[in-house]
Order: sequence, then C-alpha cells, then structure tokens
Amino acid sequence: MVEQVLNAAVNGLLLGGVLALLAFGLNLIFGVVKIIHMAYGQFVMLGFYLIYALTVQLHVPLLISCIIAVAAMGALGVVTQYLLIDPLLNAPRLNQLLALAGLIIIFENLAMVIWGADYRGIPIHFPILNFGSLYLRSSCLFAFFGALATLALLYVFLHKTYLGLAIRAVAQDAEVAQTMGINSRTIYFVTMGAGGALTGIVAAFFTPIYTVHPHFGSSFTIMAFIIVVLGGMGNLLGGFISAFIIGIVTSISAVLTTTEIADIIALLIFVLVMLVRPQGILGTRVA
Amino acid sequence: MLVVFVLLAILPLLTRSDYVTHILILILIWSFISTAWAYMGRFGIVSLGHGAFLGIGAYVSSLLFNYYGISPWLGMIIGGIAAALFAGILGYACFRFGVIGDYFALVTLAVGEMVALLIIAFREVTGGSLGFTIRNLNNAPLYFQFTNKIWFYYISLIFLLIALYVWKAIDRSRMQKALRAIGEDEIAASCLGVRIVYYKLMVTVISAFMTAVGGVLYAQYVTYLNPHTLSGVGISLAIPFKAILGGMFDLWGPTIGTALIVSLEEYIRIAYGTKYIGISEMAYGLALIVLIIFLPKGLYGTIREKVEGRRAYL
Repeated sequence: MVEQVLNAAVNGLLLGGVLALLAFGLNLIFGVVKIIHMAYGQFVMLGFYLIYALTVQLHVPLLISCIIAVAAMGALGVVTQYLLIDPLLNAPRLNQLLALAGLIIIFENLAMVIWGADYRGIPIHFPILNFGSLYLRSSCLFAFFGALATLALLYVFLHKTYLGLAIRAVAQDAEVAQTMGINSRTIYFVTMGAGGALTGIVAAFFTPIYTVHPHFGSSFTIMAFIIVVLGGMGNLLGGFISAFIIGIVTSISAVLTTTEIADIIALLIFVLVMLVRPQGILGTRVA
Repeated sequence: MLVVFVLLAILPLLTRSDYVTHILILILIWSFISTAWAYMGRFGIVSLGHGAFLGIGAYVSSLLFNYYGISPWLGMIIGGIAAALFAGILGYACFRFGVIGDYFALVTLAVGEMVALLIIAFREVTGGSLGFTIRNLNNAPLYFQFTNKIWFYYISLIFLLIALYVWKAIDRSRMQKALRAIGEDEIAASCLGVRIVYYKLMVTVISAFMTAVGGVLYAQYVTYLNPHTLSGVGISLAIPFKAILGGMFDLWGPTIGTALIVSLEEYIRIAYGTKYIGISEMAYGLALIVLIIFLPKGLYGTIREKVEGRRAYL
C-alpha cells in the first residue's frame, strides 16, 4: 500500500511537469488576452491526433511530425484568435466562453469524423525503470524534463526578449501598453499562437504516455483550470507549483479511491480555493 | 400575447403528428429550464452549473420512484427542495465570500461537473454512466406517466407559463430592484444598504428549484436518465446557450432561443445526421458560434432593439 502510494506520488510529480506546461499556456492566454480558453484541452487532443496521423498513417518520422504538429497548433491558435476571439473581444465574458464551448463541439466531432471513437496510440516503447520498489516509466521522465526545459525556455522568452516584455506589458495593462507603442491586438495574436504551439508541445509529450480519443481533451481542460486557479489566475509561478500539487494529489487519490472520486477531490480543491483564497496560493489580493 | 397563448394551446391539435408534438414538448421543457436559468443570468449572476440542479432534481425524483414507489409529482417537489438546499449552501458560500462574475461562473461549472461525477461514482444506485430507466407503468397519471404525448405537451406548457409568471412576479417584487442595483454595481448597492447575500440567494434558490423541476419533467418524458445528458459541463453550457441566443434580458428570450436551438439541432440531425455522423454536430457547433458572434444580444433582444430604435427614430 505504502509502495503504491509512493509510486503514485512520484508519477504524479512527473505528470505535474507536463500539467504545468499545459496550465502555463492557459494562464498566459488568460493573463494577456483576458479570455477563459474553454477549448484548450481540445487543442491538445487535436495536436495528439495530428501526430498520430502523421506518424502512424503517413509514416512521417516522429520528431518531424511533432514539429509539424507544434507549428500547426500554433497556426490553429492564430486562426482561432482571428475568427472567434477577435470579433468577440468586447463582447460579454459569457458570450466569449460559450463561443469557445461551441469550438469544443466542433473539435471533438471533427476528431470523431476523421478518426472515429477508437482509442489511438503511437507505438513507441520506452523502457520501465526500476529503483527498488519504485517503478518509473521513462516516457514520463522524458516528458517531465522536456516540459521543464520548455518552461525554462518560455521563461527566458518572456523575460529576456522585447516581444516577451511586450506580452508582459499587455498582461499588466493593455491600455497603458498601447500608449507605449505596443499594439495589443498583435500581442493577442502572438499569445494565442504561442498558446496553440504549447498545446502541440504538450501533445508531443503525451504521445508516449496516453492513447487519444475524441473526448481526450475535456479532462485536461478542467485539470488545467484547477491548476491555474489554485496558483492564482495570471500568476505563472503559482501555476507552476500548483501543477505539482494537483498532479500528486490526483494520482494518489486515484490509487486510494476511484478515478471519479479523484476528480471530485480535485474539483473540491478548486471550489474551496475559489471560496477561501480566490487569489490562489501565491497571489496577493487586489482590492 | 393572447394570440400566442391560443396558438400554443391548439398547436398540437393542428399538427396531429407525434414527431412534431415531440419536438414541441422538448422546446417547452427546455424553455422552462432556460427561463429558470435566466432568472439569475439577467441580473449578471451567471451560473454555468445548472446541470447540477437539473441532475439533482431528476435523480432524486426518479430514484425515489424506482426504489420506493414515491410518485414523481411528489418527487418533483422533493427533488426541487433538494436542489434548492444545495443551491442555498453553494450560493451562501459564494456570495458570502464575494465570489462574483467569472469566478462564480467557474465555481458553478466545477460544481456541475462534480454532481455528474458523483452520479457516476455511485453507480450501484444510479447506474453510473450507463444511466437507468424509469419503471414503466404505461398510463398512470398519478405517477406522471402517460402513453399519449399530448398530456406531456399541456403539462409542459402549464409549467412554462408558471416559469414566465414567476419571471413577472420577480419583476414586480423588491427583489428585482435590489438585484438590478447589485448587477450594476455590487459595492455601491451594498453601501446603500441592499442586502446583497439575501437577494442573490433568493433568486438562486428559486432558479435552482425551478431547474430541478424541469429536470423531473424531462426525465419523466424521456423516462431515461443519464449523467451526461442531465448533469455535467455539456448540459450546463447548453442551458445558458439557449437563453443567451434568445436574449436573456427579455421574458420571451429564453423560450425563443430554445425554440431556435432545438429546431436547429433537429433539422441538422434529420438532414445530415444519418449520413455523416459527427458532421451534423460540427455544423451545430459552427452555427452556435456564428449566432453568438453576430447576435450578441440574442435573437429576440436584437429584433426588439431594432424595432424600438426605429420607433425612437420616428
């Protein structure tokens, strides 16, 4: 029992790395474009299918198909911004949310039409590592370090480049940023493109771990939301820490109870944080 | 107005088609539910978790009937009270801690999903993801079962009229003034001595009760309950969709929105559904996005604004 829990904790920690990357994208979009991207998990699902189609159905080398998927998801993010979010920028928040929910319907059924309801996986086999009673899937380890490296690159991008500075400026105050000569609409496109590319990267890290199906995305959207809220909306460091908390908590509770109860526990954490500490674990309350 | 009522009353007699009656019943039931949602929505209290209340109402009533033989007419009230209590606890926690706007929408979204997961988790009782069927008694009016659809039509119509009446009653009450003030500026309203928590809680509880009753109506009509159609994120978003596309600030808005959406769903399903599975749903999703981009105030709201604008111009 103790071993099981320990195993779950370590695997949760590794999953947390990828979840941190996923939540980072959602958080960035929320912080900059100020929309709640309901269809974010569905982006990951589509990216996953794209990699599957390229490698398994068209026999493109895995690495190249991952790169294509990242670029394609980035483009999809820009297209979504152009067709859907841009026209709704000044609409009530609820309308934006529901339009993105409409996108979920389109994406999930698109996957259903093209690939059907079957579970699809990419046959790559990473060995399972064994440390005493601890069993680790090296694919998870790979995803963990890959996600951390991506996050580090993103950090450098946001803090050391002019474009990153512009993105952070728009996140702080779009109007003031505009007076400083930053075109916030362009920044919105950049952010949505980057957010889309991130879902492609997450999908690439998921390929050796999971199998994909049309409803693959929804649970990850919810998971990413929980992480973002726990860390404080728009707070990137908080999101990073809470990704590990949620990863560990859900995988331990999935071992001890059922998956539904584990999801309920995660949602309960979400609701309680919203009620008691809406600014998140690291945020400071703004009046 | 009277013409509309008369038309609604004789509509099923005119068509004499079971299929058309079926669609009309669905429109009436979902109009009832989306009207109940709009009680809150139009004051800016946007709930994305009405699936929770829908599921609680439907499951409480149907489980009581299946296991203990309690009539769904009674179960409707018990289910409604259960949902109202749940809404009361949730609402008090949210409003007391000042969870408003987006945050309220997200909390309710999570709660709607939680209820769906709870229904699935207790699969020994509820049938889990597979759902369960209400025991069939054929024609038993005392147990809310009819073989003839026409009964469901008139019952749903009466319920919809009650929902519209409650809307009017809220409009006439002090609650409406208080909630409008809160919707405009919550802090200013509180400074003027408006009891924010009390009024928001009232309207939430009323909305939850009505939604749960709507859940029972729907469950009794289709006689099959499934956590995915009665609770969870999908349905919780579908309800506000209908209200907003009609225009949630107008009495008839949710009803018109529901009629539009249900007809659209049916049309796409009939025209393309059998040939291209999935494509019809994609067309539906696309139509929803297009409607929301081009009719942000809803169908009824946009038309009314146009008409009033012209009047003002003349």
